[in-house]
Amino acid sequence: MAIKRRTLLQAGAALTAAVAAPSIVRAETKVWRVGASLPMTGPFATAGQLVAPAFAEFETVVNDNGGIGGIPIKIEVEDSGYIPKNALANFQRALAGGDLHYYFGDSTGFMELVGPSLKGDQAVMMGSTSFASVLANPKERPYQYMAGPTYEDQFEILLRDVAAKGGKTVAFIYSDTEFGRDPIAHGKKIAAELGLKVVLDEVTKAAGADIESHVTKLAQANPDYALLQGYVTGVWPQLIGAARAFGLKTQFMGTFWAMEKVVADKVTAQAGPFLDGYQGVMPYRYFYDQENAPYYRELAAQKKAANPDFPGYVVTWELEGRLNLEIWKKSMEMTLEANKEINADNLMASFRSIKDWDSGGFFGAPVTIKDHKIGQGRVYRYSAETKLFTPSSDWFTT
Amino acid sequence: MGQFSQYVMNGIMNGSVYALIALGIVSIFKSTKVVNFAQGHVIMFGAYFYFTFSVMLPEATFMPDWVLKWEPEWLAAYKEGALMFSPKAAIAGWVNNLPRIILGIIGAVICNGILGLLIERVFMRPLLGQSSFAMILCTIGLIWVLEGSASLIWTADVDQVPPLGPNFPIRFTLFGEQVFFFSASVVNFGLALFLFGLLMLVLRFTRSGVAIRATAEDQSTAYAMGINVPAVFSSAWVIASTTGAFAGAILASRNGLSPTLGLFGLSVLAIVLMGGLDSFLGVLIAAMLVGIFESLTQWQLGGEIAEIVPYVLVLIVIIWRPNGLLGQAEIERI
Amino acid sequence: MIIGEYKTDYGQDEGIWNTWAKKLGFVVALLLLLLIPFIGNDYQLLMAGQIAIFVIAVVGLNVLVGYTGLMSLGHGAFFALGAYTTVALHQFFPHLFPLITLIISMVVAGFFGFLFGLPSLRVKGLYLAVATLSANFIVLFFIRQDWLEHLTGGRGGIETPNAYFFGTELITNQQKYFLIVPIAIVMFLFAQNLFRSRFGRALIAIRDNDHSAEILGISLFNYKLKSFVISAAYCGAAGTLWAYFFPAILPEDFGLNMSITLLICLVAGGMGRSLGPIFGTILILMVPELLKMGAFYFSEGNASAQIYFSPIRDIVFGLMIIGFLIFEPMGLVSIWDRFWRFINRWPFAK
Repeated sequence: MAIKRRTLLQAGAALTAAVAAPSIVRAETKVWRVGASLPMTGPFATAGQLVAPAFAEFETVVNDNGGIGGIPIKIEVEDSGYIPKNALANFQRALAGGDLHYYFGDSTGFMELVGPSLKGDQAVMMGSTSFASVLANPKERPYQYMAGPTYEDQFEILLRDVAAKGGKTVAFIYSDTEFGRDPIAHGKKIAAELGLKVVLDEVTKAAGADIESHVTKLAQANPDYALLQGYVTGVWPQLIGAARAFGLKTQFMGTFWAMEKVVADKVTAQAGPFLDGYQGVMPYRYFYDQENAPYYRELAAQKKAANPDFPGYVVTWELEGRLNLEIWKKSMEMTLEANKEINADNLMASFRSIKDWDSGGFFGAPVTIKDHKIGQGRVYRYSAETKLFTPSSDWFTT
Repeated sequence: MGQFSQYVMNGIMNGSVYALIALGIVSIFKSTKVVNFAQGHVIMFGAYFYFTFSVMLPEATFMPDWVLKWEPEWLAAYKEGALMFSPKAAIAGWVNNLPRIILGIIGAVICNGILGLLIERVFMRPLLGQSSFAMILCTIGLIWVLEGSASLIWTADVDQVPPLGPNFPIRFTLFGEQVFFFSASVVNFGLALFLFGLLMLVLRFTRSGVAIRATAEDQSTAYAMGINVPAVFSSAWVIASTTGAFAGAILASRNGLSPTLGLFGLSVLAIVLMGGLDSFLGVLIAAMLVGIFESLTQWQLGGEIAEIVPYVLVLIVIIWRPNGLLGQAEIERI
Repeated sequence: MIIGEYKTDYGQDEGIWNTWAKKLGFVVALLLLLLIPFIGNDYQLLMAGQIAIFVIAVVGLNVLVGYTGLMSLGHGAFFALGAYTTVALHQFFPHLFPLITLIISMVVAGFFGFLFGLPSLRVKGLYLAVATLSANFIVLFFIRQDWLEHLTGGRGGIETPNAYFFGTELITNQQKYFLIVPIAIVMFLFAQNLFRSRFGRALIAIRDNDHSAEILGISLFNYKLKSFVISAAYCGAAGTLWAYFFPAILPEDFGLNMSITLLICLVAGGMGRSLGPIFGTILILMVPELLKMGAFYFSEGNASAQIYFSPIRDIVFGLMIIGFLIFEPMGLVSIWDRFWRFINRWPFAK
């Protein structure tokens, strides 16, 4: 009996040690630790897997150039499966592993879940893939920010562009998710201000939507412009394709996550050129637009050096991840320059004070942070012929 | 009235996609008494196989050019002067792709058949004789295995596949109002009807059909009568996975191809139960009904409510008929 | 030679502590549980709290699935009801005593369990599973509605209150641990006791053959519904603790995924066994985390390597579930049984 009790205790101790061991080992050398949850499995695995290599590259490049303030960085990426609870566990595990200087979240859900607990010594500067409007709120969410305009801003840019191009009627088509609904109320307000009439307000499934019925309703409303929101890889190409085949003259417009050239190119190659003329708002320059973007040229050279087969295009989703990291790096440098201790509060203070920063070409104008976001964007139009999104408006600032 | 019939037609077209997904679940349940939760993921594999044979393979350097883009002379003549997005252009584009579409379908059907066989032999066979509950959970475990494997083999990149049929609207007048449907949907609808009809005929008139029905009736008696029950199980999985290849090709061309495609399998569970797990006809009817009600709800009440339509319908139907619309009541002995 | 447990009357056989091993095991387990909050870091306590909450829900599911033999794929909905009831209550009474919230949540969830249990008399087996599956979608549909948004936060989720225990706000995971784990233990013991009563035996009779049970004078309608209500109330309690434990809740947390996870926990642990839910939950919640740590150890967090490790992790997890079904169809608890049988009879028998 005594033996068993001892074995039990030993087993318990061993188990605890096994769980705790990685955290003890990790906390030794001085590095700037960055954690990230990316959806490498689950519904957004596409985005997660495309973005992930950028984190590894960023780490290598920064460390090759002497790190930040002479100290190397270490980026630790974990999979979340796009489940907020899992991302929270990842975050807590990263926190338990020692000082954490930055965290990159994978979803609006995670950012909302973790938000209230970012206090005191749990506070970490945090960027994410999300452009959800609730996250750009310095008062409620002092440690979270976004590297671009909110969905509401993006919608506003689209509506202003529609008005500028002489559109009279618009339709809002969006998925029945938080992501889809985010800018709708604001969009209606702006549309009213601009004198645009919202003739259709259509909710669809996020995947596998009933395309025929949506097209039928769209044909009855027959708006000049249809604004799409809340889709990533599916629904929007099919909806546009069906509308084109039907012979509708409606112009379609999308926001960041439905503006990826890779998706549009693949649709064009397999199903035909019906995405021709598709427009949408993109906060950043596309990667091929390198003339005024030294950062892009540098990045292209780096990628070319690391991989001779580099095809010369970087997805916008990766650009977003990179910009998030660059903003953190900038905040780190500012804080170090001011000789202040690196902690979440000082980092965020530096971040808020970013003014007229030359982003190296991500944006058209110098970047000034307002309300924890960067309110810039431009409308692009896709051409099935050249397979490029080209600007069809000037830079908007909101 | 014209409006109404338009939405009913939309619903039927949509319902035929549900029916195609549901088909595999029914065929597996009928002979093995297992509800395959992973059917959506089997379909996803079908879609990836279709992608492999219709997009990746034709692009390979050793393949002749005409596989990727077939341009016989008569087609060029036909295509001349066709406007962008016109039916003519759509048909011409489809004929261009025809060789690789056929190659893709053949490849997908064969590979997915092998996959179905593998799943049955490796994962389901060892569970033979255990409660059907354990087997169902096994198919849930399969979801992770299949999703992870697809992500490893094909990466999680989003991909597109060539549609099975040309897509142009067919317009006509009904009840004095102009209505339409898309030709691509007609292809889906026809395919669904064809596969359902074929399976029902096979079950009724062939030897193996009789074996399947006998196994469905009573496994141990079928065994005693000399029917090779394990072979029946294998053939059920092969039927499910080969029809799944068609469903996959259609789903991928409608929704794009990514590892999320598997989730559609779960959404048709309610439909399968509504129709009655062991009745092909019942499930076909249920799929159409759900499609119709969804599209009518979308029309009148908006997309939000349309999403729970199948679940409310299934509740009502099941309380009214505990074994689904046309499902067989189980005879219980104490 | 010891060939089994020697009992001289029925009282001993019915007793919870019918072997010394159980008694000792319980004491050791209690001591370990008491030790964890003092040695664990935030992450470990996060997992511990999550496991304790899930154990409550799975114990509840065990009453229905394991002991009464009714399948359910809808218990995530009752979980959600508990969590959202808690959030809504705290908007009116910010400092409501946690145990009162807990009871109200259990009543609310139990009531909905009653509603969704109503088809259970007519509908059986898989058809019942799918009828309850509808519960997930219907309950979440209402939670997402705009007109309930002031209570539920709608699609975007809502921040949850912290529990106030006699004026102290429970903020850290360590503090919350002391709320959650005692409740989990009490609820676990209650369920354990249930099956030593007439009521519990009636449920088991229904599981084994419901028609025979009815002939023996057990009112199927009555008992099946009660079983539904009890298991839903357990999930409601788990929901309340979930709301106290996590800083915010989102509708997606509670969908079909959660219902399936609960079921897998139960089966992996062992259906119809009192320890099953505990083992199963620990296994199903910890294995993905351990796999992640393993993947992290080998990849050192390198993003490019994680692209391959993540799907492999999924495959391993799926294979583990299938492996359990094939090699340990009665769940983890049967390994446990074998182990203690071996210890008990050593050195005479295996």
